[in-house]
Amino acid sequence: MKSLRIMLLLTLIFGGYRSFAASEVETQFELANKLYAQNKFSEAAGAYEQIITNGTISSVLYFNLGNSQFKAGQLGQAIAAYRQAERLTPRDPDVRANLRFALNRVQGPTIKSTASQRWFGTLSLNEWTVLGFAGIWLTLGLLVARQIKPALATALKTWTWLSAGGTAVLFICLALALPQNTPGRIAIVTVTDATVRNSPLDEAPGAFTAHDGAELRVLDHKDEWVQVTDDAQRFGWVKRSSVNWSPRS
Amino acid sequence: MERLSWKKQLERRGGALLARGAVLLLGALMLGRSFAATFTTSLDRDTVILGENVTLTFKFEGVQPGGLPQLPAIPGLQPTGGTSSGFNSSSGPDGKMQVVQTFAVPFVTQRTGDIVIPGFNVEVGGQKLSSAPLTLKVLREDPSAPPADYATNQVFLWLALPKQELFIGEVIVAELRLYLRSEIGNISDLQIPTITGDGYNAGPLQQVPQFQRRVGNATYNVVPFNFTLAAVKNNDLVIGPLNGTVVVHGGPRDFWGQYRQRAQVAFSSPPQSLPVLPVPSENAPANFTGAVGNYTMTVNIGPTNVATGDPITVRVQISGRGALNGLMLPEQTAWGDFKSYPPTAKVETTDALGLQGAKMFEQVISPENADVQELPAFSFSFFNPETKTFRTLTHPPTKLTVRPGGVAVAPTIAASSKPNSEAAPQQIDIVPIKQRLGAVTRTTAPFLTQPVFLAAQSVPVLAFLAAFVWRKRTAALANNPRLRRQRQVEQTIRVGLETLRAHAAQNQSDEFFAGLMRLLQERLGERLDCPASAITEAVIEERLRPRGLPDSMLDELQDLFQACNQARYAPVRSVQELGAVVAKLENALRKLAEVRV
Repeated sequence: MKSLRIMLLLTLIFGGYRSFAASEVETQFELANKLYAQNKFSEAAGAYEQIITNGTISSVLYFNLGNSQFKAGQLGQAIAAYRQAERLTPRDPDVRANLRFALNRVQGPTIKSTASQRWFGTLSLNEWTVLGFAGIWLTLGLLVARQIKPALATALKTWTWLSAGGTAVLFICLALALPQNTPGRIAIVTVTDATVRNSPLDEAPGAFTAHDGAELRVLDHKDEWVQVTDDAQRFGWVKRSSVNWSPRS
Repeated sequence: MERLSWKKQLERRGGALLARGAVLLLGALMLGRSFAATFTTSLDRDTVILGENVTLTFKFEGVQPGGLPQLPAIPGLQPTGGTSSGFNSSSGPDGKMQVVQTFAVPFVTQRTGDIVIPGFNVEVGGQKLSSAPLTLKVLREDPSAPPADYATNQVFLWLALPKQELFIGEVIVAELRLYLRSEIGNISDLQIPTITGDGYNAGPLQQVPQFQRRVGNATYNVVPFNFTLAAVKNNDLVIGPLNGTVVVHGGPRDFWGQYRQRAQVAFSSPPQSLPVLPVPSENAPANFTGAVGNYTMTVNIGPTNVATGDPITVRVQISGRGALNGLMLPEQTAWGDFKSYPPTAKVETTDALGLQGAKMFEQVISPENADVQELPAFSFSFFNPETKTFRTLTHPPTKLTVRPGGVAVAPTIAASSKPNSEAAPQQIDIVPIKQRLGAVTRTTAPFLTQPVFLAAQSVPVLAFLAAFVWRKRTAALANNPRLRRQRQVEQTIRVGLETLRAHAAQNQSDEFFAGLMRLLQERLGERLDCPASAITEAVIEERLRPRGLPDSMLDELQDLFQACNQARYAPVRSVQELGAVVAKLENALRKLAEVRV
């Protein structure tokens, strides 16, 4: 009885804390929205970033952050935020519209998504994962049913094979979707002009210039430099401070 | 490198009118019907140097005039003679014949300044047709001429820019000129680089009619290529250096009329810079969306008698010269009483470079209440880089009759079935922020890297393994009756012992010993693989002792059998005595289970 009371007390404390934390986040979110409505876009972006830094992650937060940064003239940062929102809710029409709108503003070289990348991008990595593993659950569930009720084995044979085949296809899709969701694959330029140099040295000659918002494919990184390439197969090194990139981003 | 085929197109303006009457007559006889007639005039160049020739072309479509219209005297232009004509007929998409007849009249320029060629009015086949006036700019000297010391080059490339400065967003037509010394008879394999660079967008090259120019003391045939140029950044743009190659043909001709000498020549153009200016922010209208150029606007709104929620289509056509693709419909803040849907847009250009034309927007709106009496004025602002001023085009408010309606139904917005960037709804600004936080999470780590998720995936695997093992054991049991009996006996003994203890506690002697006897029979029957009912005390001597079981165990069993027999005659025992018998039975049954019989 005593332990039950302690459990109840802990549940109340924990539940109350969670409720308090949620309302705190809501308050901060509304404050950030008000800043945006007052055209204080940089302040709004800072407020949204603060919520994210505190550990609350949501597609809406990244979307609103992207809007704030876009309005504040930070095209590259806005695209990075929209990309994060897209990773969480890839089929959100608002996210897609604003990302497309922002990408259309990018000048100069930027990597373009292929049709297959766009197709695999219609589902998030987690959605592909859940689908693939749901296939495993279904297939194994059918196998279990066949073990428990051997009389059903013949009737379930076709369904088992179909399920196994579907699961294999889903896992192939998951494997193909994995590379484009690999952290640190893309660097997004966040300065007006980022000089991509032939080698990771300040004195190295420039290979090409990428502009704010340009997305570049990351090949390697070394100290403060990131090796990148674009669709024109131009290679070079760009400073980390000029791009939105981290090995885990 | 961009490879362009080049044909010799030296101006041959001294020739007589080509006799194509037979072709014309044949075409005229074949044509039963024709397209709607149009008549246009055009110049091969709109800017020339004093003394140069310019060709005025009369183009008739869908009609065959009897001949060239009467040419009035045009001050500053002197016909040089050698009018040529052309005729073309083709079948249109609906199977109707389309005829095009052209007359090209060469003139020589006689004065500098702007020469206005008036519009022409002709009557052909009972139809009155007219053309628009044209303006020709005649300069005393070429402002984009290369330096005289370039005359030492046999071939060189020169970029002619029409302006000394450029506004961001402004589109100009630049000219890339290939200068070929007049001794060169022909060229081939022309390789001109694609024009790309930082801070500007250049369109594809369009070859235009060539002309002759003097550079220093040398005469050059100039092959011009026009392209559009637009600055996108607020930095001075630098074009070039541009390098290319061409095979030049010259010298005496052989029997077949081919030039005997040919050589590949590399050429280049020096880099040229052009200052870029930002569009001024002073005096910029509130609805200015970055349009730079010179435009006119027509607006068509309908229907004007609707119920609330009914769709009203607003068609806006912005025509003129500029970056048409980039034009955006400004947000109309005064349309608060209307629900607006994303507009569709379509661009139609009238020149090869895509600089002149119109962009048609179609936006569907619907009044949200019956108090609406008019659609507020629609305005579009642009910056004219020629006058360096902003201009706002305004369509006045449109009277509307709005009556109360039922449930508003979202109108169907006409859109091309084919995905087309032009036909797709044009987004003029980002979608606004969201007011609700929605689903939140504490981590962005994908499921694939979360141990809990991965551990959960072992559940179906373990379930399958368990089912598999269970199935195997069930099958094994089904095929082994002795094992099955052993299990059943174990179960019977487990339950039976509990029952015995209960009987002992309640001092129910008869039931107790009957149960005890049954348990002994079950265990011994299972051990000896014979029916339980066949087990009596006699099996101890007849079947167990010969198998070498320990005497102590046999004695215990004998005692238990005897206790059962005695109970028939002296059934009353104490609770303690019955409890002791249970312990003894348990011990005996355990030993029996352990020994191999």
